[in-house]
Amino acid sequence: MKCPICGREAVAELCSYHLAARDRVQEAYPLWVKAYGRMEWKEFLDNVKRNVQTGQWSKEIAEFLQGG
Amino acid sequence: MTLGIGHTLVICEKPDAARRVSDALSGGTFRSELVDGMTVFRFTRKGEEFVVCSAQGHVYGVSDPAEERSVYPVFDVEWYSSELVDEDSANAARRISAVRKLAAGASRFVNACDFDVEGETIGFNLLKYACGGKEGTALRAKFSTLTEEDLVRAFDDLRPQTGQGLARAGRARHAIDFVWGVNFSRALSQSALSSGHRYRTVSVGRVQGPTLGFLVRREREIREFVPLPYWKVSGVFDRDGKRFNVDYSKEKVEEKVLAEKVRDDCVGKDAVATAVRRSTIQVGPPAPFNIGDLQKEAYRAFGYTPSRTLQIAERLYLGALISYPRTGSQRLPPSINYRGIIRGVGRAPEYSALAAELLKGEPKPVQGAKSDAAHPAIHPTGERPRRPLDSSESALLDLVTRRFLAAFGRSAQRELADITLGVDGHEFKLGGARTVFPGWMKYYGRYAGYRDVEFPAVSEGDRFGVVDVLVDQKYEQRPPRYNQSSLLEKMEKEGIGTKATRADIIATLVGRGYVTGESMQVTDLGLSVVETMARYAPSVIGTELTRDIEEKLEVVEAGSEGETALLRETVRSIARQLSELSANEEAVGKEIDAALVATVAKSFVLGRCPVCRTGELKIIRSKKTKKRFVGCSNYASGCRASAPLPQRGTVKVTPRACEHCSWPVVYVLGGGRPWRLCVNPGCPRKRTP
Repeated sequence: MKCPICGREAVAELCSYHLAARDRVQEAYPLWVKAYGRMEWKEFLDNVKRNVQTGQWSKEIAEFLQGG
Repeated sequence: MTLGIGHTLVICEKPDAARRVSDALSGGTFRSELVDGMTVFRFTRKGEEFVVCSAQGHVYGVSDPAEERSVYPVFDVEWYSSELVDEDSANAARRISAVRKLAAGASRFVNACDFDVEGETIGFNLLKYACGGKEGTALRAKFSTLTEEDLVRAFDDLRPQTGQGLARAGRARHAIDFVWGVNFSRALSQSALSSGHRYRTVSVGRVQGPTLGFLVRREREIREFVPLPYWKVSGVFDRDGKRFNVDYSKEKVEEKVLAEKVRDDCVGKDAVATAVRRSTIQVGPPAPFNIGDLQKEAYRAFGYTPSRTLQIAERLYLGALISYPRTGSQRLPPSINYRGIIRGVGRAPEYSALAAELLKGEPKPVQGAKSDAAHPAIHPTGERPRRPLDSSESALLDLVTRRFLAAFGRSAQRELADITLGVDGHEFKLGGARTVFPGWMKYYGRYAGYRDVEFPAVSEGDRFGVVDVLVDQKYEQRPPRYNQSSLLEKMEKEGIGTKATRADIIATLVGRGYVTGESMQVTDLGLSVVETMARYAPSVIGTELTRDIEEKLEVVEAGSEGETALLRETVRSIARQLSELSANEEAVGKEIDAALVATVAKSFVLGRCPVCRTGELKIIRSKKTKKRFVGCSNYASGCRASAPLPQRGTVKVTPRACEHCSWPVVYVLGGGRPWRLCVNPGCPRKRTP
């Protein structure tokens, strides 16, 4: 099976790089909610995607999760 | 040419060094002549005839007798003329032939190559193979600068070579690196080839593998990074009409509501100085330069890459302007003649006042912790250049000179202030620093890098007005990529590579396409090589095995005879990992090949198309005219964005966009200086007269 984001060999549904990035994004969400007081998942993903500090794989996974 | 019987044959490492040696020993009366295309120097000294010749780096290299690049494992190696193993070493055979002819009439041999592992190896091989086994009986000239004084002293004090630990370690290192590199590189290249694409060398050297491993680990951290928001609170406080910028005591406030509360609590109130701490600290002079320190400092001061710094330093050494640069030492022994060098340096107007000041007392330098039995720390010789220096040579010589002078300076004194200001239960910090006695900083000049931050004269209980409190939203920064300097530092810290080879290894990583650009961004190929090796041959990208070999080679350098056992041990370890790789050849090949294809494809992509904003601009070669141009990947969907490209030279993709039109910028290399080109033919900048 191929990773739907980059076409590399998938480990589960994603390649190892995007799986790790998904973990980082999911770990960050509650911390963003705490920082701002409240934030919807979609708004969070949008922020992550647009932030210049976000790494390439995390940006790609944010976009992927938004589409899903 | 006829050669007298019984001359002394001196072997130097480089032609410039041979000329310097001849000039110094003959008092300028040497004659030069050509032997098989190599310039040799001849003169008489104290009634003895001398012939001085030179290698040009390594004239012998290691290779496998079979020379079949698809075959591995390879564990039998032999020493050959370098041009048979490295196409860049074109004149090695002619040099060897010349040395053979000169050796035929010699009664005494002197190895005057650089006194370090590589120099010893070069001299050893020439004496062994070209001079008919004279490596055990030749004399050794040891010097750390190419000044007349040092060279005459070295040749008045020629000694038999003892132990030859450096040469044995050097030869063992070459053999190990060859066996390591050739086997893993062939295994990876053949695996990729078996997946159906063209042959391309995919190399993994002994030090290259772990170094790429560092880069990949950092690359993954960067690409996975998700920043967390935080708020920075700062204030503008007033005292007696003078305003000061102060920082909230907590550098990062993790919640917006808390940051805003600080602002709301403090604005319009008074701050009281609750603690005032002043201290004076002594800042000692920096240790004299070893090569690693010099490379790091030159990167910081001038942006020179480590390999460039090494090249410039080599030129300064061959010009007798600085001491031998490939040294690990941070120590300056009295034998280098401190006063003589300072006096020499002081003949240049820019250093005359500094030198005169140091010469008033008895100069004694600070010594660093690292030592090197072969050479002292890098220092100027005090000689004046015999030719005009280019700007990079002048800059590096200035840095070396000032660092040397600074080593003799007294400790600097800095006054630090740390003031705590309380406002309604919140604390702010006001810090400051100033140099009260410059000491060595005066000698080191602009390289010292300490700046003053003004602070008020204040006592506990003094009041400040809170003019404003600012709340700035920020995001955590992703980890920085290694640059060439910080990577060199990491290699040093991890104990892999040698002071002489680290810069070249970094350059090889770029050359192989594992990393791109100055920011050392890892390519798909680099990621894939490390991931594959981590799965099937993890020791190749780990530091442990490489460091272990380095440590054992250092023991050989010091005189132990353990190189044969070390070679055997390394071969066994390589064989184990190769069998794992070859058992998984198909899987390895698929991964590497996919990364090769992706990396090559990316090297043609310039970036997002500024016209349709969904396609990518790419470098395309016309099937009809064979000319290259820029076109959009959405051509089939109607995007007609295109641009011509120069047809000569190499076009390199950059991550930059033109600041005038946001089209991609490329580098064009070849036929003169590289130049930057915005590919947009309609760029407004191009229309500006």
